[in-house]
Amino acid sequence: MKVFPTGMQVIKGEVSIIKDRCKGCGICISYCPMNVLEVSEEFNSKGYHFPVVKNPDNCINCGLCEMLCPDFAIWSVLKEKKQVVEV
Amino acid sequence: MVQLRGSYPFENFLQAGSIPSVWCPGCGIGTVINTFIHAAERSNVSSNDICVVSGIGCTGKVAYCVKFNSFQTIYRSCIRCASHIKLKNPNWRVVVFLSDADFMISGADDFVGIVKKGIDILVIYINNYIYYLYIKGKNLTKTPFMGVTVDKSIESPFNIPHLAESCGFRYIARWTPLHVRRLSYSMTDSLQKPGPSLIEVISPCLMYYSSEGLVGTSLNRMDYFYDNSIIKKGERTENLDLRFKDKIIVGEFKDGT
Repeated sequence: MKVFPTGMQVIKGEVSIIKDRCKGCGICISYCPMNVLEVSEEFNSKGYHFPVVKNPDNCINCGLCEMLCPDFAIWSVLKEKKQVVEV
Repeated sequence: MVQLRGSYPFENFLQAGSIPSVWCPGCGIGTVINTFIHAAERSNVSSNDICVVSGIGCTGKVAYCVKFNSFQTIYRSCIRCASHIKLKNPNWRVVVFLSDADFMISGADDFVGIVKKGIDILVIYINNYIYYLYIKGKNLTKTPFMGVTVDKSIESPFNIPHLAESCGFRYIARWTPLHVRRLSYSMTDSLQKPGPSLIEVISPCLMYYSSEGLVGTSLNRMDYFYDNSIIKKGERTENLDLRFKDKIIVGEFKDGT
């Protein structure tokens, strides 16, 4: 069980992917700081392997995958944000 | 069936017929457009007042993919058209996406005349180390890279931030597609304040530099930027040459009034 000091915020996010726009460059998978994504085994209509969510509870909504993607195929949304009051 | 949370947040800034785009997988031009849309949303400039102008080549397709008031121009007339557009509509904010084709072969006299005529535009210079369209990569203009070309010859480098400082630009910076947040804050700062500015983005072409251990594929390309770039704020522009085996110096070099 994790113990947080008082006054700290806990932020969770959710990632969505449009698989027909992806071109399989692999930048979002290797630059995620919390290891949320992995390469899938299916391919889309153009023949590229797109990313798939592996650990959805780890996402902290930093927004790096959304800004690094060259094809506008992935974005993240804030799910919850709460303040820890006591240990 | 995977559920999507809403739609893509900036869908109203993209042309519907241009996605998926024409560039290679992992090209730096796509990242620069994504960063520009985030910067335009954060600034206090209305999206009806932004104008995008581009030239020829791979960089020339930028005006086709975004939904601001955009124009695509013909050979050797990119900066001249942008100057006329700014003089006719003084309350617009004009952004020019340049490449080697519109600046080094012909058009350098228009670039020098920006500050002399008092025109207020933002120049984003995407440097992909090659000019292939008309001369098939031979060594006519290898702007700032002292390395090997298609026919294995070497040419001396050129220093664009130094040229811009001697002309009198207000804001000069250089970044790579790896530094997304700093590039976005540079663009927001230049959109809001008056005065001509220059931002150079180093992004080598994937088709010609992805072999022989030079830069690698798209994933290795980001590792290449991570290992070989160093941030030095306020460095003098005489020391900003690009050489093959040295580090790339990035940062903000001039931020004046």
